[in-house]
Amino acid sequence: MAEIVSLLYQFGTNAAFLLLAALGLIVILGMMNIINLAHGEFMMLGAYAASAAVHRGLPFPLAVLLSAVAVGVFGIVLERLVVRHFYGRELGALVVTWGISLILSQGTLIAFGPFMAPIAIPGGALTVGVYSFSTYWLFLMAICVVLLAGLGWLYKATEFGLQARATMQNAAMARALGIRVERVYMITFGLGSALAGLSGALLAPTTSIAPFMGQQFVAPAFITVVVGGGASVIGGAIGSSSLLSLVETPVSFLMGSFWGSIALLVTALVLIRILPNGVSSLRLRRRTRGARG
Amino acid sequence: MPDPAKTILHAIGLQKRFGGVVAARDVDFALTEGELRCVIGPNGAGKSTFFALLAGIQPPDAGRIELEGEDITRLKPFQRVRKGLGLTFQTNRTFHAMTLRQNLDTAGRGGEEPAPFRAALTAFGLDRGLDRPVTALAHHERQWLEICMALRGRPSVLLLDEPTAGMSPVETRRTSDVLRELNSGGLSIIVVEHDIAFVRATAQMVTVLHQGAIFAEGTMAEITAREDVRAIYLGKVREETA
Amino acid sequence: MPQKRRPNPLRAAFTGPHDIGRTPPGWALMGLILLGFLLYPATASAFSATNVAYYLLNIPMALGLSLLWGYGGILSFGQVAFFAVAGYVYGVVAGNMTADPTLGSILGILAGLGAAGLLALIFGYFIFYARVAAWIVPILTLVLALLLSTFLGLTAGSAWKVGDVALGGYNGMNIPSLQIGNFIFQDYAFYYLTVATVVLCFIGLRIRVNSHRGQVLIALREDPLRTELLGYDVRLEQLVAFVIAAVLSGISGLLYVTWGNYITPSVTSLAQASLPVIWVAVGGRDSLFAVMILTFLLNQLTYVLSSAGNQYALIITGVLLVAVMLFAPEGLIPRLIELGRKALRLKEAT
Repeated sequence: MAEIVSLLYQFGTNAAFLLLAALGLIVILGMMNIINLAHGEFMMLGAYAASAAVHRGLPFPLAVLLSAVAVGVFGIVLERLVVRHFYGRELGALVVTWGISLILSQGTLIAFGPFMAPIAIPGGALTVGVYSFSTYWLFLMAICVVLLAGLGWLYKATEFGLQARATMQNAAMARALGIRVERVYMITFGLGSALAGLSGALLAPTTSIAPFMGQQFVAPAFITVVVGGGASVIGGAIGSSSLLSLVETPVSFLMGSFWGSIALLVTALVLIRILPNGVSSLRLRRRTRGARG
Repeated sequence: MPDPAKTILHAIGLQKRFGGVVAARDVDFALTEGELRCVIGPNGAGKSTFFALLAGIQPPDAGRIELEGEDITRLKPFQRVRKGLGLTFQTNRTFHAMTLRQNLDTAGRGGEEPAPFRAALTAFGLDRGLDRPVTALAHHERQWLEICMALRGRPSVLLLDEPTAGMSPVETRRTSDVLRELNSGGLSIIVVEHDIAFVRATAQMVTVLHQGAIFAEGTMAEITAREDVRAIYLGKVREETA
Repeated sequence: MPQKRRPNPLRAAFTGPHDIGRTPPGWALMGLILLGFLLYPATASAFSATNVAYYLLNIPMALGLSLLWGYGGILSFGQVAFFAVAGYVYGVVAGNMTADPTLGSILGILAGLGAAGLLALIFGYFIFYARVAAWIVPILTLVLALLLSTFLGLTAGSAWKVGDVALGGYNGMNIPSLQIGNFIFQDYAFYYLTVATVVLCFIGLRIRVNSHRGQVLIALREDPLRTELLGYDVRLEQLVAFVIAAVLSGISGLLYVTWGNYITPSVTSLAQASLPVIWVAVGGRDSLFAVMILTFLLNQLTYVLSSAGNQYALIITGVLLVAVMLFAPEGLIPRLIELGRKALRLKEAT
């Protein structure tokens, strides 16, 4: 019993990490077809902001919210200055955001030095049998559910969501219908950036905070996105993070975290060979097959 | 010499659905060698799907396609082209960043240029100014260039998707003349088209698609004589007439 | 008529349409540059020549990325992975054959390039035969480079010894120089070897991009479906270009390890992975000539900056990349040429 709980906990932790690492990226990719390669650095900025706020005496939850807002605003500024010139040129956008990521990480190193004071993990531990679980990670899993539900509500039930989905499907048509496409893009990029900042702040207590910490999110975040595909943002995110966690958890458990990462990459390669449009295309595919039969 | 008794392209029982829409329903289609066939139908009749199935861009849900007696149903588009299918698109897809010469070179280089290719280049007036960028050409000239590019690969069947879309009557007429000239040289041609004037000037045989199925087949005279065909073109068809 | 030309490949390399510098002034400029590099050691110390060889040795990798991205429209962020694989494999093979250095060098080169090509073949098969969206290729190649770096960093222990050679983790790995008989390629000899390699890679790629296969590669950058419907196997064409680019990265990797006799996992880190993209984007990705020149200049710049202990080197290259992508997306050298032409025309007009 305790083993099963422990395995479930491991699985949940890995899935929550993948989801948090990838969520901002997925929102921007799914809605705008833009890859933000500075995503890891946005998370790093979130972690720095949260750490700075906590060390100035702010309570952790407030620090997290503040970081999300700060990185969101930063993202909007960057969108206006740079990213908007690359709509429709996805490879150009990749390259330019990479340049931004170099500037951000190296700039942070110069401005703040190689280390930032860490944040203690909030909350205590739960024990089941011989295993103990961090309540903070349980909290993060809950946050993931809340974030996904919130995004689902935003895109399915609000006016902005309707406009964003229309823009995603056909920007020219949306523009003809009077939707301010530029504004939708700006808000979406801001939202994705804020999510990156939020994730960075939330993960800050679980890791060491350093200028190049963004790199550790690059591989898991991008693999999650590649496997998720662009067809359905939220479905893809859930499907891909849980599927990958299902592979990573046992491999990391048996062979260590590096082989866990390798397993992620191999899974991604095999999956895209089978499903070039990502996990989210499975649902669509099943739908058409059902109609045929 | 073409053998009119030989079926060169044969589609048997093609089916294709997109969600709830039947885009191809039991399509049986046979093209004999040296034939020039037009496939017509109102908007949404399934012409584009028919083209995509023959080209291999979409896999059929059921059915079979044979080219010169060989089953090509499972072949990818490039393999079908290598087997002798020459294709052009409805929208113009010449390579815009290249010159005419580079476009033609991309279509094939080396070996002897096939006679129909050279004939078409000359007939369309595209054999001069080969170092112009393709963007210097008028719309209809780019359409013609595409036909020439398809001919470079020595196709046994030429499959054209609305080659005269956006052309003036004079240009349409010239396209028709060149296609009939190529056909009289022995080339088998299928033209998917909705411009009735072009079809009237061009086709020997006409296939009418409607709601994804073959609705009628015959000479232009036979087809235009049919009340029900006229009805679907005027949009008046009712369930009972179908 | 496009018929009668069956140009000889070397002629096509210098007159073909797919690069700048295909007219007498262009050839003259290239000749002058080459002459400068050939004569340079006469005036320079062995130390300076070795430094200049370092600025040159990344050019094959950059040229490969130019072929892949500029001509083929396939962006890879992981060229350093193939660079590292070739370097490490060479080190292991040559390091185990120090008794016969000639054979060790030759087998090391073959094994290094073979390993880089094989990795590209396997990795590329999954990517290109899946016909993934264009943005997935750079992402997955980047992940490959980062995981390789992580893996190599884990190889510090004595368990990671291949024959006599320890991979060494972040301590790095010592690697023997290239040696044929008693002749060791170092100092001036290494300089000339590098210059010759660069010239061969450049001419080889100019032949390639101006050949029919090069034309097809450009066509599938413009419109993959149209290219497929002209009868080309797009997946195979992309895979071949990917493998060529990987082998070229491998050549740079071999030059690098035989230059410094040393390699560490940091050669495939994120910062290193960004460099080829920067050289190629800043130079002008669809011009081999521009990429070659800019790669040399930028390598010199970063080397000078970072050896002066300047931590702004990465920021400067990052800003340069963003600025070029914003204001001269076709690259600096093509933009300068265009501006120069405009100025000339203006002069003639007045």
